[in-house]
Amino acid sequence: MREVGIVGVGHTKFGKSDLPFLDLLGAAALEALDDAGIKTGEGHCVDQLFVSSMGASIQNRISGSASALVDSLNLRPAMAECVENGPASGGSAVKLGYMAIASGMCDCVLVVGGEKMGKGKEATDFVATMLHPEAEYPYGLTLTSFAAMFTRLIMDKYGVTSEDLARIAVKNHANACHNPVAQLQKPVSLEAITTGPDMEKINPPVAEPLRRYDVCPMSDGAAAVVLCAMDIADKFKRRPVRIAGIGQATDTHCVANRAVPTDLLAVRLASQKAYKMAGLTADDMDCAELHDAFQILELVESEEAGFFPRGQGHIGIRNGETEIGGRIPINTSGGLKAKGHPLGATGISQIIEVVKQLRGEAAGRQVEGAKAGLCVNFGGFGNNVVATVLTKD
Amino acid sequence: MYGYRCKKCGKLHHPARLVCDKCEGREFTEEILDGEGTLLTYTRVHNLPAGIDKPVLDFGIVQMREGVCVSGQLDIDGEIYTGMKVRATEGVVRVMNGVEHTGFIFVKA
Ligand SMILES: [Zn+2]
Repeated sequence: MREVGIVGVGHTKFGKSDLPFLDLLGAAALEALDDAGIKTGEGHCVDQLFVSSMGASIQNRISGSASALVDSLNLRPAMAECVENGPASGGSAVKLGYMAIASGMCDCVLVVGGEKMGKGKEATDFVATMLHPEAEYPYGLTLTSFAAMFTRLIMDKYGVTSEDLARIAVKNHANACHNPVAQLQKPVSLEAITTGPDMEKINPPVAEPLRRYDVCPMSDGAAAVVLCAMDIADKFKRRPVRIAGIGQATDTHCVANRAVPTDLLAVRLASQKAYKMAGLTADDMDCAELHDAFQILELVESEEAGFFPRGQGHIGIRNGETEIGGRIPINTSGGLKAKGHPLGATGISQIIEVVKQLRGEAAGRQVEGAKAGLCVNFGGFGNNVVATVLTKD
Repeated sequence: MYGYRCKKCGKLHHPARLVCDKCEGREFTEEILDGEGTLLTYTRVHNLPAGIDKPVLDFGIVQMREGVCVSGQLDIDGEIYTGMKVRATEGVVRVMNGVEHTGFIFVKA
């Protein structure tokens, strides 16, 4: 199996965008191609394009995005496909790019993910279409509802408090202030969102016990990476970051059917698989991007990925262990909470943050000497999870 | 509302599935689920999706007396708490494209 590296990255600023869906994807793609030093047009070296999006066909009424984008970018006659795997679409698309190169079928693959989410109750409903079509979605259940019910179980079992969740949001907002592509580049104080006089106004309940700051925003945005075979990496402008391991695991589609309702089993299995493939352990990671669509997920994923024993993650947060400068900095990008969460872009965006850390390009939020990092991209309410380990070559 | 009991090993499932996750059986018998259960967790939701025309709605995950765990809406006045006894009823949970969808609505037992 051939080794695979990342030689180009591109990332639009997350947040509301006026660009049409395909132009948003194109902006990230061109930035990634330029970063890698790849010329478009005749004689270009891109063998395959993957486009990841959960909702282009639902929210934007566009199908076949990959066919449109490959032509618009002047990368014909490269192979092109769309990848839909809910909020884990980005991680899945990078995995498929990896497989295409590792198999020997391709030398160079462009992976682009993006989303135009829309807003309000319609966007909430669109995201909920990933739930079970009979036993969950028709009830009006949403991802936020399940996160809320999961949070209550975790609080009861492990003594996690609302203040612990708020601390994660405070950290992620602080990190996002140093990330120029983040949606919410504004600090927030623990007091303001927990005990302050305007708390009910700025941090109202969303799905009890969750409040606004326990939940990521709705975002538009796109992210892109160029993958290549390590044996031809010297053809590109940038030194490659190695994709050392990828793991993926699924769990019961319905949340109510989980054997242990406080576990995120697919996160544990996917991470273990990715570490094993890389020949590394959780202790070898210098940073991690964990899928904090809800702050409770960052906490429990940090345990399932092996950074803390089960039920101890919130102690680590109280001690500052997940801050930049701490033992294992988590979501240096600002995470989904503050960087934003355009579903199809998120898995790729996480990988880009770790690439920046390993290149030493994360100005203002750099983890000094970072050599390896983990990304966890979480689909459904944990029913399909992709974990990726990146290392500095 | 139904549970689906595996003809081979007797495990009760909800929702329906193609293959039993205990014994690989592929045949099931339908069984009405209208009994009592225990509320495992719950939430009051303020940001409901399009298609649910209410300001707030309560949801829960319930372990039915028969063993299977299911999600549903709650219709409970007064205090809601983990571990409370509830009873399954069937009602219209949403109207989509003019079609009424029925599901579990749990009331106080
Ligand atoms: Zn069976």
